[in-house]
Amino acid sequence: MDLTMFMQQMINGFSLGSMYALIAIGYTMVYGVLRLINFAHGDIMMVGGFLGYFGIAVLGLPFGAAVILAIVGSALLGMASDRIAYRPLRSAPKISLLITAIGVSFFLENAFNVFFGGVPRAFPVPAYLEEVVNFMGLMMPVSAIIVPIITAFLLAVILWVLFKTKYGMAIRALAFDVGTVNLMGIDANRIITLVFGIGSALAAVGGIFWAVNYPSVEPMMGVLVGLKAFAAAVVGGIGSVGGAVLGGLIIGFTEVVVIAFFPELGGYKDAFAFIFLILILLFKPTGILGIDFEKSRF
Amino acid sequence: MKKLALLATSVALLASSSFAKEISVGVTMSMSGPLAAYGQTAYEGIEFANALQPKLKNGDTIKLVLIDTKGDKVESANAATRLISSDKVVGIIGELTSTNTAQVMAIAEKKQIPVISPVATNDKLTEQKEFANRVCFTDSFQGAVVANYATKDLKLKTAVVVVDQAQVYSLGLAKAFVDAFTKAGGKVVKEIKVSSGDKDFKAVVSQIKAANPDMLFLPMYHPEVSMIARQAKQIGLVKPMFSGDGVANQTFIDLGGDAVEGYMFTDFFDYAAPPTQRSKDFIAAYAQKTGKQEVNSFVALGADAYNVMLDAMNRCANPEDSICINKEIKATANFEGVSGVINMDKTGNSTRSAVIKVVQNGKAVYKATVNP
Amino acid sequence: MNTLMLKKEQWLKISFVAITVWFIWFSNSHFDEYTIRILNNIAIFIILAVSYNLINGVTGQFSLEPNGFVAIGAYVAALLLTSPEAKQYQYAIVDPYPFVLTLHANFVVALLLGGAFAATLAACLSFPVFRVRGDYLAIVTLGFGFIIKILAINVPEVTNGSLGINDIPEFSNLYWTGGIAMIAVIVVLNIINSKFGRAMKAVRDDEDAAIAMGVNTFKAKTLAFCTSAFFEGVGGGLLAALLTSISPDLFDFFFTFQLLIIIVLGGLGSTTGAIIGTVLVMGGSEWMRFLDEPMNLLGYETTAMPGMRMVVFSLGLILIMLFAREGVMGKRELTDLLKWRRKGGK
Repeated sequence: MDLTMFMQQMINGFSLGSMYALIAIGYTMVYGVLRLINFAHGDIMMVGGFLGYFGIAVLGLPFGAAVILAIVGSALLGMASDRIAYRPLRSAPKISLLITAIGVSFFLENAFNVFFGGVPRAFPVPAYLEEVVNFMGLMMPVSAIIVPIITAFLLAVILWVLFKTKYGMAIRALAFDVGTVNLMGIDANRIITLVFGIGSALAAVGGIFWAVNYPSVEPMMGVLVGLKAFAAAVVGGIGSVGGAVLGGLIIGFTEVVVIAFFPELGGYKDAFAFIFLILILLFKPTGILGIDFEKSRF
Repeated sequence: MKKLALLATSVALLASSSFAKEISVGVTMSMSGPLAAYGQTAYEGIEFANALQPKLKNGDTIKLVLIDTKGDKVESANAATRLISSDKVVGIIGELTSTNTAQVMAIAEKKQIPVISPVATNDKLTEQKEFANRVCFTDSFQGAVVANYATKDLKLKTAVVVVDQAQVYSLGLAKAFVDAFTKAGGKVVKEIKVSSGDKDFKAVVSQIKAANPDMLFLPMYHPEVSMIARQAKQIGLVKPMFSGDGVANQTFIDLGGDAVEGYMFTDFFDYAAPPTQRSKDFIAAYAQKTGKQEVNSFVALGADAYNVMLDAMNRCANPEDSICINKEIKATANFEGVSGVINMDKTGNSTRSAVIKVVQNGKAVYKATVNP
Repeated sequence: MNTLMLKKEQWLKISFVAITVWFIWFSNSHFDEYTIRILNNIAIFIILAVSYNLINGVTGQFSLEPNGFVAIGAYVAALLLTSPEAKQYQYAIVDPYPFVLTLHANFVVALLLGGAFAATLAACLSFPVFRVRGDYLAIVTLGFGFIIKILAINVPEVTNGSLGINDIPEFSNLYWTGGIAMIAVIVVLNIINSKFGRAMKAVRDDEDAAIAMGVNTFKAKTLAFCTSAFFEGVGGGLLAALLTSISPDLFDFFFTFQLLIIIVLGGLGSTTGAIIGTVLVMGGSEWMRFLDEPMNLLGYETTAMPGMRMVVFSLGLILIMLFAREGVMGKRELTDLLKWRRKGGK
């Protein structure tokens, strides 16, 4: 393999890893405050992609406006799902919450299947994103290069919110202990809703990136991606935003690079995320960035 | 005297039409689930053909009994059993995929009920079975069509084949192509495996570019093929690309955009060049009912599955005799179907032509017909 | 101990067994093929549901394992039951490994081996997962199911890839499926009523307290998980022998989701509930076909919306969780209901 191809795969790896990272952040934040694996999170990514498609193809909006529509719509959907399906079960045994999450996930997938059909729709990618850049023999579409850059920017924003704002402090406090937060006069429910909103917004961005890089949207597109993103969050350290990004990058890179070097393993691509998950649970259950959630902090 | 004769004739007519009954023909199809779009399209054809021609020669009406298999194997088994034991159908049309169709055929075989599959192309489907039939061509035929066209007409010598491990269709067609291509003097320099559901094929197209073949053969379904085509264009891989009928629909062209300009694939028929009179009539009636000029191959094949069944029933003295129907299906010769001229043989396979189409300006355009 | 009540319970158990045996005999001779097929399905799903209930409902560990273990049981049984000639003929992708061709066993051994294989894998999975707080069980088992499917597709020398294994001899009939269902229910009930069962319930109700009381929670969870896996493997083998052909796409997440709905509807933790849930869902599934067709809603004619059935299922699950979390039976069994009546209201 020559240098050009190697560089190409590195950028691909970064791209894919960033998309997993964006979705993993949402998982890890919700788990941090609620100890809930929100199975429906991957489907929020799908909804984001569909809203973007809807905005451009049906409403005729320019790309930027469609992205905003997707982000706002998904955030609202995430917050609504918390309000309707999860909040009433705050005091219920955990298993009920998990089952409900699966129910919401399944509902989203099938509702979109019924109303939009299972056939993939072509996502109208704006021309400037599809342009292929030729840099020293390296041929990459603009879309693949933009993804890691924007992800890094968003990560910086999230970390700033978490560590430099009052709301962020409330979120971190919530991850620590729900009861105390309420005692301190902060409405825990509102903070939780905010967490869902932020997580879903990021998932929507991930969904748009996905739709731009692999221009099709279909109701099941979030399923496997969501699972891998959760595995990424666990691998990096559940409860830690940095860990989620790290986990996402690791899994994304592995998928791209291993296939590049060992093409015969192509069929096993999807298994890597879960193999990493099992390995991490065997050797360092708290994840690479090692946040023990008994004394959790983001 | 005249009055008596008139009375007698009308009584006789009334009596004969009151003897006209409803005969049930079962349809097992994936109307929901992951393959819903394909299943619904095929059923559209069956239903429409039934609407155009619901009656047998002797006045009996054919009633379609549809059971949705949800694309699931267990449901396919249930559906077949229910149709045969509860609804007492004399024949079954369906299913969609080769694996589910195999399930239906296994059950029908034990009960000696003929099955006609509209679109399942896997070679092994009709082997070692008496009551299995199909109106589409087989994978080996399709593979040979592409291989021969590529070597003889386009003079291409080397090829890379990308196989979707998770789809029976892909495995069968790839194998058929490799055999035929090698036999025709070509060389398959590389076989790459992928799995359906994948979207990222950048590693795959890089490998192909490095191997530098004369052509690419992608015997898969449109979601994966369109992604490969796009990503190939992105790294500057420009070579003749071929697929089978798995991409023969508009969604493929929509998903692929201008990355699939010049893409070639095989299909069953071309609505712009109707091969038979029945075809012309069907297309016209279809356009009138749905307002759509384009008739998807699945619609045409669904219609033909019904038409062949109807034709066989007409040639039986007792149209409810399943064994006779099966015999007559296999004896169908030079049948002018909607999708072309169909000849059935005693193994239950149909001999028919294929067309090759190419994507030009966002539309699938007819290029050539290949006769068996 | 009220001797009269004890006797009543024994009578109940004997009559349960007797009625089931009679029902199986009756159905086999009197019902048509379609009904028999549905009854076979129900029996197999009862086996799967009562064992799935053991880990999810009784031990309170949320797991999504059924599709993986059922797949294992099905493939093991298929490989052992199909004749070498049939295998030689079908393996069209690549040639099978020689040991695949020689594998052969009779029905009972095939089922037991399928179950044993599944249980062994479950034990391997338990180790990394139950060491940590069982939160991750769901994701790991979900991923496990995916990996099994990936293996089934990518190792065609053993599994014949996506072509699957066909021409499996049809050993399953109501005697086998019904009989094994009965055995499964009896075994599971015995486990639940034993000291292991009490440990499992303790884990469910309050794991910290259980550990404080000296309960070996790791052992309890692992036992529940492996027993679950064993019966799911056996059920998989029965399924393979009923369908006579299996392929990787049969064992997808929806399979697990169906079982989840069944045990939730019946009542998490109740074996009777699992049985009731199976009958309701499998029967209801057929009944709900009308949802996929054009409907007349208050005089407004809707078009056919295939897949609406799934939407209704998932909505139903959410609503049950929100408003009727106990399901039909809650944690109670049939015997508890009778006790309650006798004591005159508790």
